[in-house]
Amino acid sequence: MIEKRETIPNGFVMDIQPFSVNDGNGIRTTVFLAGCPLRCQWCSNPEGFSQRELVGWHQRKCIGCGKCAEVCPEGIGICLSEERFADRINRISKNDRCTACGACVKVCPVGARTFMVRQMDAGEVIEKIQKHRLFYMQSGGGVTFSGGEATMQPGFLRCLAERIYDLGYDMAIETSGYFDIQDDNGTFTDKEKRNAEDIRWTLEHMDMIFMDLKIFDDEKHRLYTGVSNKKILKNIKQLGKLHQQKLSAGKSVPAADTLCNKDDHTAGPRVVIRIPVIGGVNDDEENIRCSAAFVHENAPEAEMELLPYHEFGKIKYEALGMAYDRPAFSRPSKEHMEYLKSIVEDEGVKTADFR
Amino acid sequence: MAITDRVEKIRQNYVNTMPHISYERAWAWTKSFQKTEGQVHIIRTAQAFRDTCEELSVNIWEGELVVGTSGEYRKCAILTPEFGWTWINDEIDTFPQRGQDPYDVTPEQIKFIRENIFPYWKGKSVEEAFLARTSEATKKIGVDTGFLDTDSKWRNGIGEISADYIDVLLPKGYGGIKAEALEYMKKLDETKPADKKKADFYKSMVLIADGMITLGRRYAEKAEEMASAETDPKRKEELIEIAKVCSRVPENPPESFREAIQFVWFVQLGGIIAENPLAWNPGRFDQYMYPYYKADKEAGKIDYDTALELVECLWLKYSEWAWTISKNTASFFAGYTNFENLTVGGTKVDGTDATNDISYMAIQATRECMTHQPTLSCRIHPDCPPEFMEAVTELVSTGCGFPAIHGDRTGYQMLSNLGYKPEDARDWNNCGCVVPHSRKTFEWTSSASISFAAALEFALNEGKSRLSGEQVSVPEKDPKSFESLEEIIEAWKKQFRYLVKHGVISLVTAQEIHKEIGHRPFMSACNEYCMKNGADLVDGGSKYNIGPVFTGVGLSVTANSLAVIKKLVYEEKECTLADIIDAIDNNWEGYEELREKALACPKYGNDDDYVDSIARDLADFFYDEVTSYDDLYGNHFVTAFMGISNYLPTGKVLGATPEGRHAMDPINEGVSPYTGSDTSTCLAALRSAAKMKHEIHSGGTLLNLRLNHDLVATKRGRANLGAMLQTYFMLGGFHVQFNTISNEVLKDAQAHPEKYRSLLVRVAGYSAQFTNLSKEMQDSIMARNAHEEF
Repeated sequence: MIEKRETIPNGFVMDIQPFSVNDGNGIRTTVFLAGCPLRCQWCSNPEGFSQRELVGWHQRKCIGCGKCAEVCPEGIGICLSEERFADRINRISKNDRCTACGACVKVCPVGARTFMVRQMDAGEVIEKIQKHRLFYMQSGGGVTFSGGEATMQPGFLRCLAERIYDLGYDMAIETSGYFDIQDDNGTFTDKEKRNAEDIRWTLEHMDMIFMDLKIFDDEKHRLYTGVSNKKILKNIKQLGKLHQQKLSAGKSVPAADTLCNKDDHTAGPRVVIRIPVIGGVNDDEENIRCSAAFVHENAPEAEMELLPYHEFGKIKYEALGMAYDRPAFSRPSKEHMEYLKSIVEDEGVKTADFR
Repeated sequence: MAITDRVEKIRQNYVNTMPHISYERAWAWTKSFQKTEGQVHIIRTAQAFRDTCEELSVNIWEGELVVGTSGEYRKCAILTPEFGWTWINDEIDTFPQRGQDPYDVTPEQIKFIRENIFPYWKGKSVEEAFLARTSEATKKIGVDTGFLDTDSKWRNGIGEISADYIDVLLPKGYGGIKAEALEYMKKLDETKPADKKKADFYKSMVLIADGMITLGRRYAEKAEEMASAETDPKRKEELIEIAKVCSRVPENPPESFREAIQFVWFVQLGGIIAENPLAWNPGRFDQYMYPYYKADKEAGKIDYDTALELVECLWLKYSEWAWTISKNTASFFAGYTNFENLTVGGTKVDGTDATNDISYMAIQATRECMTHQPTLSCRIHPDCPPEFMEAVTELVSTGCGFPAIHGDRTGYQMLSNLGYKPEDARDWNNCGCVVPHSRKTFEWTSSASISFAAALEFALNEGKSRLSGEQVSVPEKDPKSFESLEEIIEAWKKQFRYLVKHGVISLVTAQEIHKEIGHRPFMSACNEYCMKNGADLVDGGSKYNIGPVFTGVGLSVTANSLAVIKKLVYEEKECTLADIIDAIDNNWEGYEELREKALACPKYGNDDDYVDSIARDLADFFYDEVTSYDDLYGNHFVTAFMGISNYLPTGKVLGATPEGRHAMDPINEGVSPYTGSDTSTCLAALRSAAKMKHEIHSGGTLLNLRLNHDLVATKRGRANLGAMLQTYFMLGGFHVQFNTISNEVLKDAQAHPEKYRSLLVRVAGYSAQFTNLSKEMQDSIMARNAHEEF
């Protein structure tokens, strides 16, 4: 048994989004936790890069009344995004003049200044989640952890997961797979060990795990996401093993009985490997085939889901004053997505669809 | 199975023709009344019905299996001058040209009507009596104002009846009803005044039954005659069958599914001829039709597809009759909608699931025919079979706006709160748009439309209309001198009380008039207890007599406005009340920044207690105030938030409002959020609406939402929609209805109406063909917020 660690009451939360219907069963609330080790060029949630509070400015809502400028202790004007970052290369700089004190958020009469990342305590998060419990009960839904990368806040994540587990809601996590739960060389510090335990505990208690495999070719993966995919591939293998381990540990307790159409989970969490399909980056047949073959070999129970690229994140870049300077990624056509799906199935992997 | 060629042909005719005015009924009615001067009114009415059944032209249209029409046109609109004729006289020349709900009518017809029909009714109609008895003060606030409207109770037939097919009509037939009336009559002693009155009632029952029997006989004869002339052997056979069916019903209880369908239509037609009624409800169709289907099926006499075709023929009959209404009424009830509400699903009286093959057949017929009638309602109980939920949500996903989806238990509670016995409350059906109702009931379900937003306008404008400047309500002090939100709310209450008071006076006046000249022998014959008690509906013959319903409009606009004042003026001191008054006096011109601030304040529909609690307090006050009055029969008045399409006309008469709305823009219907202000999620909108204590507003509550079509395109998405519905009902909500058609489609339909003749959309509490709606109504439907996530 892994002992529960002391509660981490605070975490950095980007958003708590009720009525999510595409990341797991039923009607769900998605909790977006900030902090991410990857820097995918197509990222649609740039506020989630770091664990720090952030205030954004939504120009379209702004009436230019100047209240924000009046109260700002740092002397920042209305156009927050134009004066905030000293260092644009690193995108979110430590030298940002805005300290996210929230004074402007409080006084803005039209909601043009909002927190895009905010510290919240676990109780507050749970309260917001619980509000929709009847919808979860009726639909077989629950909670999905997302990000950023949720495992970047392992203590907070586990703390939330433990409480939700006790409430009996269905739980899912969306992760980049970029985390350490295995101390292969025995070099983990105490902190790393604790983090690994927390992540492992969390994954074991999920009803569903979505893990990304963005690009199979490591060099390309580094180019587009800033990190190697070795760790991710390793973790996919680990997930394959999670089933057996959980069975042998004899603590396969499914979430509260709900009337949803979900499968029998007694064998452990349902695993879905996701590929965000970006036109011109990873939408080639070879990448999809290699990825599927890898999944088939190393996590035979897992399914795969292909998600087409979208540009919904653009508005967030604007709010934060970040450059939306990315190559011209394209959204793959419906037909191409269908074709890629057939390749996955060709490799013997079941495809999943939450639309 | 796809729709049959026969049904498709009838459907094409329905979709592509404008209703035509027929005066046959009005002329026959008038001639009869000319002959019966001096007799008691109930007998005159019943005699007029009987005579009309003898005189109406008998028409069997091409391809029909279910027959019977209210006039010489297939898509027919009839006149009932005995209720009101002056408005027809004023408007009939513009019938074909008017924007909302036009009717065809020829100059020759108009001439005939003016020369032969209207003169007789001069001084005799319900409308004239009402206006003669109504004070100037009441007229100023409550006649054609948009602040308070009661004219559906004194310009048109009443309707709002659910026929009792189960205990009266189907088991007895009109032959049985007649025999029963004669039997009761034998026991009377006409030397006793009470018995004398009963005798008149039973005589009228006999006349009604004779009228209905005549109708059946004439159709049988017509079919026979047509059969002998018919050269197509297939049609000939059909006509012979029609003749056979009509020679049995409605005189005798039906013995087959086919006969039962024809019976149901004859009853519907009878009601139309009698009153041209609004909300003349077929009721729990699946419950009374299933036994016939089951028996025929077991006997090998019918299969599902044959039964479905008959049901679809009936659906087209329901839709071929168009309600004749004034331009003003049409703005409230847009889309030729006559609210023939047909309910399926729910639980039986014993609490078990009531769904059966006919429940599914009704849903399928609606999906395939895409007719605006019947107004299909579904009852959803907590243990609703998933297949039924899928059928319901699948129909939602077509975007036609049907069905209206109701929480079984909330409907039961609404009736229980009115004193219904459990067995009757459990057997509720829907009336009109969203009124929980019973076949044992006499109730004016849509009596007064009362505007919450008008009361706020008067409170903040010294009792005057902001647009006209006229002093229409009680005086109030200078709005700039209010010192607290509480004071403003008190002023709102004062104004609202004034509206309620005049609504009560108007409706009691209308009740008195109906008691004198509004007898309803036809509808009374469909009511078990009228027969038992020997008394007409207007004389309290029914088992349940429920007080007239006030329907509140503009709840969210008013709550949102008060929230803006609370926040901007009294809490954050962003501006003064004077600033807000100046802003709305100027329709926000020059106050754009203040308007942005007002728009950013908490809005009802986002599960924010800051404003939702204000809405609930207003709704509670509405209930307390309205139910404190008794009607002519000693029953307390009833509240509802049902809406219909009244959010347009009631908005048109109002100046700008503090929550950011511009002058003359629509307000909102039922318990729905204000258009576009429910910016959170669908779940939040449902949660806000569920806070309104639905079960006390026994006249029904309406919630309209738009859903993005993509999200109900899959079974999985629809299962989630089902879960949302169940949750709303668990939270105490009563009704919800969805539009799921994308604005792209609607825009295209606006530009190319010819391509979209059969496109049905949700208006409010009912659906109508999109192309039959005026441009402004179409625009307002597009403006309703689409919840993108779902």
